[in-house]
Amino acid sequence: MLKVFGFVKRHPRLTHDEYRTGHVGYHNSFGRRLNNIRGYLLNVASNRPISDSLGAEAVKKLTTNEPADFDDGWDGWGQLMFDTMEDYVSAKTPAIDRAGPNGLETDTMVARVGDDFDQLYAGSPFQFHVDEHIAMPVRRPERKLFKLAQFVKRPASLEPELFRAYVTGRYATLAATMPGLRGMIVNVRTNLDVMSKFFAQDSEGFTPEGIARRETFYSGWDALIEYWFDGPEQFSSARNSRDFEQLPELESAFFSAVFYREVDETVAVLPKRNTPPPFYHR
Amino acid sequence: MFKVFAFLKRNTTLLTHDEYRAGHVGYHCGQSRRLRNIRGYLVNVWSNTPFAQRIGTELHQQITRNEPQNFLDWWDGFPEVYFDSQEAWVHATDVEPTRATADGLINDPDWSLADGPFLFDPVPDRPGEFKPCHLLMHEHILVPVEREEVKSFKLMQFFKNKPNVSNDQVLADYAAAAAQLPGLNGCILNFRDPDQAAAMQGFYGDDTWGLSNEGIDHRSRFCDMWDGAIEYHFTQVNDFISARRFLHDELSRLESRFFDSLWYVEVDENLVVMPNRNPAPNYYFR
Repeated sequence: MLKVFGFVKRHPRLTHDEYRTGHVGYHNSFGRRLNNIRGYLLNVASNRPISDSLGAEAVKKLTTNEPADFDDGWDGWGQLMFDTMEDYVSAKTPAIDRAGPNGLETDTMVARVGDDFDQLYAGSPFQFHVDEHIAMPVRRPERKLFKLAQFVKRPASLEPELFRAYVTGRYATLAATMPGLRGMIVNVRTNLDVMSKFFAQDSEGFTPEGIARRETFYSGWDALIEYWFDGPEQFSSARNSRDFEQLPELESAFFSAVFYREVDETVAVLPKRNTPPPFYHR
Repeated sequence: MFKVFAFLKRNTTLLTHDEYRAGHVGYHCGQSRRLRNIRGYLVNVWSNTPFAQRIGTELHQQITRNEPQNFLDWWDGFPEVYFDSQEAWVHATDVEPTRATADGLINDPDWSLADGPFLFDPVPDRPGEFKPCHLLMHEHILVPVEREEVKSFKLMQFFKNKPNVSNDQVLADYAAAAAQLPGLNGCILNFRDPDQAAAMQGFYGDDTWGLSNEGIDHRSRFCDMWDGAIEYHFTQVNDFISARRFLHDELSRLESRFFDSLWYVEVDENLVVMPNRNPAPNYYFR
């Protein structure tokens, strides 16, 4: 599938919790109606620091070269899934999904995704395509899970193709056996342009300042690994277990930076990876 | 949790079944997913393919008993909504600030459920009203639901108990057996509350159609057909077929003992808000 991430920083007039309300509430209510969307998740940075989730000592042990002020760059990120690039670039068009006095009518607000970008965000989203590798298919129970984002950076000495091969190979294969894991997906950021045809040409993201802001954010990491557990103790316990003592060795060899964040996941559209049905479905 | 099944028939003058899907799952859910303190929200729309066609006429005849005629004429879809309490449910339409603007977070002035009479079966002599049939359900989780990242196969099994059979017996014997079907990704038994107005009162005004004599009679006739419904989640239809064949003799024996009628409806489940059975976090979450 075509999978696109969009990291966003909240508008300065909003607190983090106000931002999450505006994004999860109003904004997602339009985003989930994008034409032909096949999956839509929103991950909001947890109010709980990762050192509280996993323990300060564990975080110190597991972290290498975390970029300074990393959290200044974002409050959340959306994940959009489409079948094709054509579906993605045409998603922001009016949707025929509103019942009115003449039957089903067109709603132009879907094309503008609620038209709240300038009030919800500080600048354009950092929008990029990821090459995903499903190390363990996700199965979501009917409760809020502990979702962990592991940001990793490719060493300059390692070719991008080898980095992808190694992180999705021995590393992910071993990590995916952690007890209690409910899903694990490796997402490697690519250079495929998913900005130009999705955002207006006068967007902040296309200004020199916007490009610099995005490149600074990208410079700290190259891949994002999503983990789903019932609770943080399952991840901590696994990482302390002898069964996984090889993971730090692999991290030393394959990653020049590793750091973690907890996020609160909203499933705005449950990802559907099978063939779409011939009717409106979310 | 306070769980409501809301059976809704489309506005047949304006919409086909597939147009109804788009209007309900699209715009309408874009509004209703913001109901205050909602803890879970699924919209089940009956499948376009008849269930007998999906599983074969022979098996369908074997597992169905006295299916009411025209059951699907009563509804096109039914949302399942979850709240922590009845109080939360009756205050669900109290608008809260969810829209970022130049003035910060505000109540969305465009938030509205006014599409209702265009989307659902309108009441002819009551402009602005449609015919709701909201029913309080008491659920028993037989197999906790886990959803894969695919469109899965969801089946509703409606049943009416024999006069001398209690819900407790169904729960103790039949549900225990049904939960053994191999390949289940989830199984929830729901009994309808004996008070057919339990999910209507407080949520709708006393002077609305749903609480009028006509609305009460409509609900009563619909409820006469069934006492409860089991939700089965499988990955594919063939998983149900093989599972049913595996336990067919035992289930058939229990079904003839417990149920006057029993039938199935395949539904396309749209997940609008993932049910969260944990305590609610202290921030806005869906």
